[in-house]
Amino acid sequence: MSRFEIYSPEGLRVDGRRWNEIRRFECRINSHPTSSDGSSYVEQGNTKVLCLVQGPMEPALRSQSSTAQGSLIVNVSVTPFATVERNKRPRNDRRIQELSATLTRTFNKAIVLKNYPRSLIQVNLQVLALDGGLLAACTNATTLALMDAGISMYDYISSVTAGIFDGQTPLLDLNTIEENELGFLTVGVIGESEKLALLLMEDRVGMDSLEKVLAIAIAGSHRIRELMDIQVRNYGKHKVAKLANQ
Amino acid sequence: MTTSFNAELGILDRVDGSASYKFGATSLICSVSGPIEAKARQELPTSAALEVTIRPDVGVSSTREKLTEDKLKSVLGSVISTFLYPRQLIQVVVQILDAGEAPCYVVRELVGCINACYLALIDAKVGISESFYAKCVAIEQNTGKLILDPTDRDLTSSKSHHAVCFSLGNGKSKSLLYSESFGQFTEEELLKVLDFAAEAIEQENIGVRKVISEAVSNDYVWMS
Amino acid sequence: MFKGFEVSSNEQAFTLETLKSGIRFDGRKLEEMRDIDIRLGDEYGYVEVRLGNTKAIVRISAQLAVPFEDRPYEGIFQISTEISPMAGPMFEAGRQSIDEVLISRLVEKAVRRSGALDLESLCIIAGSRCWAVRADVHFLDYDGNFIDATCLAVMVGLSHFKKPDIAINGEEIVLFSTDQRDPVPLSVLHIPLCVTFAFYNPNDVEENIKGSSSGELILVDPTMKEEAQSLGSMTLTLNKNREICQISKAGGLPIDAPVIMDCCSIAYSIVERLTEKIKQLLKDDEAKRIDINVQRALSAANDR
Repeated sequence: MSRFEIYSPEGLRVDGRRWNEIRRFECRINSHPTSSDGSSYVEQGNTKVLCLVQGPMEPALRSQSSTAQGSLIVNVSVTPFATVERNKRPRNDRRIQELSATLTRTFNKAIVLKNYPRSLIQVNLQVLALDGGLLAACTNATTLALMDAGISMYDYISSVTAGIFDGQTPLLDLNTIEENELGFLTVGVIGESEKLALLLMEDRVGMDSLEKVLAIAIAGSHRIRELMDIQVRNYGKHKVAKLANQ
Repeated sequence: MTTSFNAELGILDRVDGSASYKFGATSLICSVSGPIEAKARQELPTSAALEVTIRPDVGVSSTREKLTEDKLKSVLGSVISTFLYPRQLIQVVVQILDAGEAPCYVVRELVGCINACYLALIDAKVGISESFYAKCVAIEQNTGKLILDPTDRDLTSSKSHHAVCFSLGNGKSKSLLYSESFGQFTEEELLKVLDFAAEAIEQENIGVRKVISEAVSNDYVWMS
Repeated sequence: MFKGFEVSSNEQAFTLETLKSGIRFDGRKLEEMRDIDIRLGDEYGYVEVRLGNTKAIVRISAQLAVPFEDRPYEGIFQISTEISPMAGPMFEAGRQSIDEVLISRLVEKAVRRSGALDLESLCIIAGSRCWAVRADVHFLDYDGNFIDATCLAVMVGLSHFKKPDIAINGEEIVLFSTDQRDPVPLSVLHIPLCVTFAFYNPNDVEENIKGSSSGELILVDPTMKEEAQSLGSMTLTLNKNREICQISKAGGLPIDAPVIMDCCSIAYSIVERLTEKIKQLLKDDEAKRIDINVQRALSAANDR
């Protein structure tokens, strides 16, 4: 048995949340106004991700330029101090490669790439602290930073993890401890729809409980979309007010 | 002696030529793609570049495979008419399915590689200047007897083993393309081994020709 | 999916039209898998799998090794999935493309992470000696859907493989050859199998993302051509205990959650059938081997 009580009989989790509560979600848009075309900072509980977007710009390599549509590159780097144990990751860690490939493929369909022929959009993600939900936080940060860069997208992609406890209770937005104990999945939902752009699951989950987990994950993603939307609109208002003053 | 091997041509779809070759416990598959577009760093202005990859049956490829690749490349480089395809690439991949010998030997593997490549090159219709074929021979420790196609057990009890590759013309072994020997042997013994191998190659060539002519007649089945 | 293979616009339009009427080039239904041909070798753990024109060979091997320091009670299990140009000239030798990385990660997640092989049973002496099991996947021919073929081949290989028997004598390990003692099978806990779906959109792609329409078409087990034209794919890994071991839908066409649930049940019926097939195959092979062994024993008696 694990050292932790993942879900107490009273219905509380290790960090005191209930089953359907997401962690504290804070985000900032345009966090690095001078160093990039678009930037964002996302905190999902103790997971902290910084995202900088460059572009659309002229591609450095001929191979990255396509006449039909723009190309997208996503780089992810996890800082050595992101986890409790400081370990140096090899440069071509396959997990990280997979992560960036997943993000690239997800946003390839979410960005209106045909608006940017012969151009390159580069997304750089820095994971400052890691406490579960890596892919989810990266997806949210990328969505915000792309919006800040003014790149046309079809809709928000909001993402969250959800797991299942004891094969019956779904738990929303897991932290590292819970991720290690439970089977969980990460979803990326497009806007307010129930369409999944992204669905990844790594551990064993009973087929019959999948629906429950998916439902709560989609609801959680919608909540995160709302929080991101508030932030984007606030920033927009602030920016318009500033322009009006000038 | 003509049935000491098992070969089949054209077993793969995605490449230009392929062949499976099995003799005794050793079994491998060879594929040839070419002439295809070469990458800038491989490109040679006057002849085709040759890329040879050998993949072991178990584990990742190491210096052992690199060395065999190099040997194989020297054989293939001397028979493929590379001048026909300037700035192109001929890609040869050998997948070993069963080495059929302990990892400290590479003789059966090398012989299998050469013969499988020969068949796959023909299947790919890549121009080669002459036919070639290889055999391995071991000299028994005590009796000095020559053993054709030694098994793993024969190899361990032999005092030396040899891989011999001859080019063929009119069904006769013509010139020595490659020979490699390990162990202790006299000059006289080596010459005997070469003669022995040449004869064995001539004999087996009858069977090889049959396999090839069958495959070719299958390819041109639309003509009849 | 892989670079260097492009399909003309005419052919793409044609494919979509045929798919809309529920027909595929090879005459399959949309939710039908290609024929799977599994051949077991004479050696334990040698498996040849053909999924249509996709061919792969898996060899399982076991060696004695020292366990990892952080996992002294577990053996080692490695899957090597390197794609050589033999599978097609679009695969580069010695360099892993991102697609290759995704394939190997997926197979790894499906087989290793799902705990298909009981690693603790591979431990011999905690912290100092264990079995290192290797699955070497050789891709011979590529016609789409490497993942399903690989996963199946590895699982059949693991169930078929037998490692030499050992005895522990204090600190000493005695390894018996196959003539001395019958080899022992690995402890395979469950058989996860992958089913890959490809998504198409007969209507406008934008409509699918923005609007509420979801007329997307879903194919099971795409060929290379179908893969090249698809707008995304999803791989589900299930076992016959109705457990989902892995889902991977990395981007691609957005799909409604209920549709994914439907995919799960399609995949389950396929997996159920395949598992039966594998079990039968292994049973037949076992019976054949016993037959041969019995004959050998009898002939030995006759010699005397």
